Amino acid sequence: MARRALRAVAQYGAVLFAAVCLNFALPRLAPGDVIDYLFPPEQSGAITAEQRAAVLDEFGLDQPVPVQFQRYLAGLARGDLLLSVRYGRPVRDLLAERIGWTFLLVGSALVVSTVLGTVLGYRSAWRRGTPGDAGILSTAMLVDSMPPFFVGMLLLLLFSVELGWLPTFGAQPTTTTTGAAFLVEVGKRLLLPFATLTLASIGPVYLVARSALVSELGEDYILMAEAKGLSPRQVRRHAERNALLPVSTIALIELGTLVGGAAVVETVFSYPGLGRLIYESVLARDYPVLQGAFLLLAAGVILANLVNDLLYPVLDPRVRR
Amino acid sequence: MSVTPAARPAQWRPPGLTLGVTGAGLIALLVAAALFAPLLASHDPTVPTGLPFEPPSGAHPLGTNDVGEDLWAQLLYGTRISLVIALVSALVAVTIGLAVALVAGYYRGKVETVSMRIVDLALAFPFLVLVIVLAAFLGRGLLTTIVVIGAVIWARPARVLRSQVLEARESGHVVAARAMGASGPRIMGRHILPRVAPLTAAQFVRAANVSVLLEASLAFLGLGDPTRVSWGTILHFANARNAFLTDAWRWWALPPGLALTVAVVGFAFLGYAVEERADPRLTRGARRPVRPAARPPEVVDRGPGEPALKVRDLTVQYATGNSPMTAVEKVSLTVPRGRIVGLVGESGSGKTTLAMALLGLTRPPARVVSGDVRVAGRDVGRARPSLLATLRGREVALIPQSAMNALNPAYPAHRQIAEAAALTRAGPHAAARATELLELVGIPRPRHRAFPHELSGGMRQRVVIAMALANNPSLLVADEPVTGLDVVTQARIVELLLGLRERFGMAMLLISHDLPLTATVADDVLVMYAGRVVEQGPTSRVTTAPAHPYTRQLLQASPRLHGPHAPLAGIEGEMPDPFDPPPGCRFHPRCPDAFDRCRGADPPLLDLGDGQRAACLLYDS
Repeated sequence: MARRALRAVAQYGAVLFAAVCLNFALPRLAPGDVIDYLFPPEQSGAITAEQRAAVLDEFGLDQPVPVQFQRYLAGLARGDLLLSVRYGRPVRDLLAERIGWTFLLVGSALVVSTVLGTVLGYRSAWRRGTPGDAGILSTAMLVDSMPPFFVGMLLLLLFSVELGWLPTFGAQPTTTTTGAAFLVEVGKRLLLPFATLTLASIGPVYLVARSALVSELGEDYILMAEAKGLSPRQVRRHAERNALLPVSTIALIELGTLVGGAAVVETVFSYPGLGRLIYESVLARDYPVLQGAFLLLAAGVILANLVNDLLYPVLDPRVRR
Repeated sequence: MSVTPAARPAQWRPPGLTLGVTGAGLIALLVAAALFAPLLASHDPTVPTGLPFEPPSGAHPLGTNDVGEDLWAQLLYGTRISLVIALVSALVAVTIGLAVALVAGYYRGKVETVSMRIVDLALAFPFLVLVIVLAAFLGRGLLTTIVVIGAVIWARPARVLRSQVLEARESGHVVAARAMGASGPRIMGRHILPRVAPLTAAQFVRAANVSVLLEASLAFLGLGDPTRVSWGTILHFANARNAFLTDAWRWWALPPGLALTVAVVGFAFLGYAVEERADPRLTRGARRPVRPAARPPEVVDRGPGEPALKVRDLTVQYATGNSPMTAVEKVSLTVPRGRIVGLVGESGSGKTTLAMALLGLTRPPARVVSGDVRVAGRDVGRARPSLLATLRGREVALIPQSAMNALNPAYPAHRQIAEAAALTRAGPHAAARATELLELVGIPRPRHRAFPHELSGGMRQRVVIAMALANNPSLLVADEPVTGLDVVTQARIVELLLGLRERFGMAMLLISHDLPLTATVADDVLVMYAGRVVEQGPTSRVTTAPAHPYTRQLLQASPRLHGPHAPLAGIEGEMPDPFDPPPGCRFHPRCPDAFDRCRGADPPLLDLGDGQRAACLLYDS
């Protein structure tokens, strides 16, 4: 058990390190001069030689690459993520302001799409081949095929522009409200981006849950459960317990997809999370922010994977030692 | 003869063909639009040819955007770029994925462990974020987009194709080629690649499906090739330039969004269909039986003289493609209370299908066509599902074939037995009963709470036996209870079964392919061949004076420990094809004593005296 945990920590640590290396290498491998990534694009033509030398010195860019890497790692360890070229503020502060909203959005969408997708998938598998199953299956495939930002646009048009029921942008009210009223306002603004993301990620969970339960229902232990006289409900519980294994795997993969999806969905709804920040940084060529956001999201997903790996033995006794 | 109400087997029609045709149609439509864009659109998509925000008109079928560019032309030319990027990125991804799958699946060992771990992590990585960051740094361009998308989504095809490579690797002719010294690359190219090809095609379509969406997302975020128009860039400008504040979105944002949906649906449907072709396991049928519409009242006949099991003229068929396949044909048998009856036959003779029918566990595509089964006088075929469940475990219990796999891997042994025992008693008593049973079958107390994977094959077998006995059944159906165990364990399990039977006074139907083993324990023996009972009678009669030529050959084919030495003889020929059984006696093609009538007439079971009966025309005077 402890060995397993240690191995998981080492493996995910290696992945995190790979992400860090990629982050270090990107501006250096990308076409053009590293300096260009540290200034706002409109200024990069007008940098004086002195400014250039000063920046080179400040960031140690005139040093050999290993030394640069060392300084970079040391900076990361202190939580130092450079300055935003657009805002002139530390990237760390920008990320800290935004991450809460993305956490709320992605977290709620992940929980709801996993639970709802599993329930529907199990239901479908149990009734496999009936019109009800075929109906849910084809709906899931269709919903899965709609680009999330397009779904978001349509929802925005319908509920905010045409019907005027919900606000069109932001995450919290512009006027000062407190207490329950504030939470209602936050909920209203969360609803559409949350619904969009949930629709975007429920399809794969549903399909995996459905096929996992179908395959468990064909196992020998189900036959035995029936033969010993268990009621259909009890038999179903046996199968559902084991079908949770692939479901937990797909939920994690969906987390990765959701974090990416947040980038486009937050853009559509002008939701002030990390995704929107990434979009703004792409438009403003604010590379330090882009790097910081990438590193933060990658670390978050890797951490979630690690936790899942450590909790996996609870689900599957076969890997317990 | 009573006939069970015809339960219509749940026909799961693989939706593959319809979906495939629909998907291919949608993609073909888009490809045509892309190819004939210059003919269909009269304007250059990137040059202003009208006033800003013109509504749809004859000159501009979809109107113009904020700078007066023709939106219809943009949509058509955008189709070109979106499709090209999707298909080429998919090609890149599948090529990388296939290469990784081949190397990992073929060389196994460390190479496989490491590369699959990387694949797993790549799968969980937030790849859209990675794509965005990579594209932002590497600059906007067609080639960058393609390379970035391909390099990021290769992991899924790699994972799926690897398992297929593993399967192909173990197939007969690949093993043979390896044994003959063919080189790795040669085997991969000539033997494995062709087998993986169908699934690779399916993965290509899936990858195209993902690529279309990724490209659109990138372009929507302003990371597309700035010199070319794609669906995503149209949507980007529509969103960035506030098309939603006016009605302009109707012809500006809606058409490219719908085109995207059409493309993704098309690829998804096509992918599903191709995948189904490549892997027929996906089309397995429904497991839950469809409930028969009407049900005649159940007849309960519970006299003390009623045998533990009485089967009359039972016929079970499998619904297959064109004509049904008969697995059990008009079988009748009786197990008196407290007696052991052996049912012997080769694999494929219908033994297990029969055993399932005895517990009312026949599942589509199998179906009880006619005849009836009475357990302690209760009609299994006509019992309502709720009643059937109460019959199982209490009146009739089963030790299934491959009992070693019959335990749920997620629960400890004790819990699984207690669960069964709790059907007839309160919780604490059920737990006590489970402990008692586990001791009875010889599992030491410290192992009671072990998980199935922590127990040896023999121990799991004992747990399953304990589970079957939890509610004192009057009949135990044991389907090959010792197959797959080593000889010493076999003997112990048989001994255990006999002891328990004595103790609980159950009747037992012992199903086995092993006639000598059955003969040592059974009071009566039935011999099955190709779904029919060919001989039955008291064990002593059947083994010392076998009447049916098949029984004789079966005895000669088994080694003897006692009595005079006799040469072992195999049985010539093979079991008949169940889809196309020979006319007349099913055994005649392999029978040394066959004569003309055997090829035409179905032999009935003929009474030979002393309870022995044989279905052979040799005795038809």
